[in-house]
Amino acid sequence: MRVGDVASGRSGDKGDMLDLSLVACTPHHYEQLRQYLTPERVRAITAPCFDSPVMRYEVPGLMALKFVFPQALPGGVYASMHAGLHWQKAAIWLLLDHRMPPNPGGQDATVG
Amino acid sequence: MVRPANAICSVGAGAGFAGDRIDPALALVRSGLIDTMALECLAERTLVPAIKARADNPQAGFDPRWRRRLSPLLPLAAQHQCRVVSNLGAANPRAAVQAISGLCIELGLQQHRVAALVGDDVMGLQTHIQWAKPWQGQLIGAHAYLGSDLMAQALHQGAHVVVTGRVADSALFAAPARMQLLDQHDALAGALAVGHLLECGGQLTGGNFEPIGGANVPPPLSADQYARLGYPLAHVYADGSADITVVPGAPGIVDVLTCTLQLLYEVHDPAHYITPDLIVDFSQVRFEVTGPQSVRMSGARGKGVPPMLKVAGFVEQPGVLADVEIGFAGDGAMARAQCAADVLRRRLDALPAHDCQIDLVGIDSVLRGATRPSTAAPSELRVHISAACGDAATAQWVEDEVYALTLSGPAGGCSVRSEKRPRLAVVDGLIDRQLVPTELVWGQP
Repeated sequence: MRVGDVASGRSGDKGDMLDLSLVACTPHHYEQLRQYLTPERVRAITAPCFDSPVMRYEVPGLMALKFVFPQALPGGVYASMHAGLHWQKAAIWLLLDHRMPPNPGGQDATVG
Repeated sequence: MVRPANAICSVGAGAGFAGDRIDPALALVRSGLIDTMALECLAERTLVPAIKARADNPQAGFDPRWRRRLSPLLPLAAQHQCRVVSNLGAANPRAAVQAISGLCIELGLQQHRVAALVGDDVMGLQTHIQWAKPWQGQLIGAHAYLGSDLMAQALHQGAHVVVTGRVADSALFAAPARMQLLDQHDALAGALAVGHLLECGGQLTGGNFEPIGGANVPPPLSADQYARLGYPLAHVYADGSADITVVPGAPGIVDVLTCTLQLLYEVHDPAHYITPDLIVDFSQVRFEVTGPQSVRMSGARGKGVPPMLKVAGFVEQPGVLADVEIGFAGDGAMARAQCAADVLRRRLDALPAHDCQIDLVGIDSVLRGATRPSTAAPSELRVHISAACGDAATAQWVEDEVYALTLSGPAGGCSVRSEKRPRLAVVDGLIDRQLVPTELVWGQP
């Protein structure tokens, strides 16, 4: 199951920090995403793109998860080594395009 | 919806960044639904060119687009009894207030009163700034994020236009409500939540919005609708709740999802969003659909006034960042581009690996190693290199090596684009708010 088929999301940034918001379509999918997208798993998903610790915040009332990466954008947008400025506007697709196993949170859940 | 009688103010978002479209603000004023137009024109980075312009000319350093934006807006706003609040004063609100006062006279608005909020520039208070981490290079500017109190005072004293430098974006929108709120805690938290929702303009009303399952369907608005996107407005109530909607007659999407995404945008801990006016808890916010394109927001909570103000510092580091691309097209473009990238890696191997990034635009330049593999070979793509260079000569060498591919690399290297940027870092700090003197400066006609 593709994360972006059960959730919407948006990327933001402040200085060196990247933040990714995910909003689930139902309480059931919120709970699935909450169990599956642990900070460790999200760090593994984003590692091929950047290296940063992850902080996660839960907002059950809005069916939302918030991931903050304090070292993803070293030096801020001007110091970026990407082509052009503001690559981070697309960073939410790191999560939206991720395929969860059919039974996320179960025994067969794998990283990657 | 018509303007509710019990709203304490109705505020529109006419711009979400310095270069934003001009016409959405005019449509908002023409609707007759708003009494205050807020224009957010000062992203974190936008201060840098303004600081440099002010260094060259003490009368410059505010948004160079000010005349284009305000000339059509001010007469229309006067006609509809709508005030204008904006941070387009950038690095020099003191100069901006004089320029805008002059423009008012040109436009026949001799009675207009224009106020500037000054005091955000804290370069003179450097020794009191607590930086989040050490940095190297030359500090070219340091600005504290100010709150809404003096902006509210200026409006209360009859300002038609209030111009600022660095303030919290949310404060621009909270200012018109501030004097009439029931309390300075939860109600102010609500007004700040409104500001946070509106500060990015069209991003609340369907812009930059990926719907659930968006990969399987066309974008949620048509090209014609994006081209005419309506910007948001809010009717704010004394308890800090608000009705959020889009300017009537214009396309847009205002629903629980678009509001939720914008509420969480660039917020770190949603239960502890720090603004200069108040620390706000968004975690109990509720959105309720109240009509087509209309959502009721309530439930923001205040958690006290922070003792420190956030400071953004800009640090120039020695050297230049070269960002250069070369294109390839036609059958076999992928193999020729990959080969060209490998040629560059060999030619530039004197550069330290961590100072050099080479990838393929169209393949993996954005999400890098996390990009999902493409199923078809593209018939055109670009090789990109970014190199952090110690000096301008090295950056020129990087550009020259890319150009040299057109004669000495794989066939068809074309469409070279090159940009050389100063190496500039944004650094965060904090300063005791008691140490930052702020005041209103009124324009002299």
